[in-house]
Amino acid sequence: MELFRYSRSIYGGSDQLIGASWDLLPWFVGAAVLFIVVHAVLSALAKRRARRSA
Amino acid sequence: MDQITPNRWTARAPGFDRVRRHTLLDRAYHWLMALAVLVLMATAFLPILGIKFAWLDIHWITGVALAALVLIHIVRALFFQDWRNMWIGLADLRELWRDAAGLVGSRQRPALPGKYDAAQKLYHLGVAVVILAVVGSGLLMLLKIDTPFWRRNPYWFSADTWGVIYVIHGFAAMAIVAIVIVHLYFALMPDSWYLLRAMVRGWISGKEYAQHHDPARWKA
Ligand code: HEM
Repeated sequence: MELFRYSRSIYGGSDQLIGASWDLLPWFVGAAVLFIVVHAVLSALAKRRARRSA
Repeated sequence: MDQITPNRWTARAPGFDRVRRHTLLDRAYHWLMALAVLVLMATAFLPILGIKFAWLDIHWITGVALAALVLIHIVRALFFQDWRNMWIGLADLRELWRDAAGLVGSRQRPALPGKYDAAQKLYHLGVAVVILAVVGSGLLMLLKIDTPFWRRNPYWFSADTWGVIYVIHGFAAMAIVAIVIVHLYFALMPDSWYLLRAMVRGWISGKEYAQHHDPARWKA
């Protein structure tokens, strides 16, 4: 997986950095979804514990 | 923050016990910013995902509008509002720790926050950093495009520096996608519907104020 995008130099020199790699987009979305799932599960468990001890 | 004076609308509330949380101007800022960010995300990422259209004009014009909104917000927050409401202090760090401990089983009761709780302040800080990054880099990238107002001039920076500017814009843009998803989750959670209502209508009830806030930290 690439972190950056490069353009090929037409003069045969080294590649030029031109931006972030869009391959990373699903990882950002995945991180957000993972955060939500973990938070939802932990807060549901915390609520259940609170109800039980009430 | 002030008690809302009873009028034609608020008088309908039992006991007029409404506490103003957001002024009309702040609500307008929030929703205009939301609209701008959604338009910027759509114009940037739909073409990347293969849905091709003429995105650039809508993108840069909305970008300039977002930059203006952010500038107005900074001036208002610093000079006309109480910026301390959003300041992260030691008490907030302790609160964050207690919140996290509460999620994984601690029975300590979390302390009531002021106007914003520690997680909201941390979220605001994250949004501030990525929005400033995307606006700052975006304003520079205006030099790379032709518009009716100026011709492109890519020679302001070296090719390497442009690369870094585009990397900043790209990473901040993807971070914004993640932040928007998490924001929607918290905003739509039933526990925080009263905050969503406050962002639409401006007020929370006296009961909600007493239940969720420490009056010593957010004076009504
Ligand atoms: C939510 C906010 C924003 C998102 C998600 C976003 C996203 C993006 C993305 C993904 C690109 C393609 C970049 C690349 O090819 O590497 C882009 C290009 C661009 N953005 Fe943004 N952007 C945002 C805000 C802004 C702002 C505030 C401005 C200006 C004030 C701006 C101006 C530009 C310009 C001029 C380009 C085109 C550069 C070119 O094609 O050479 N953007 N944006």
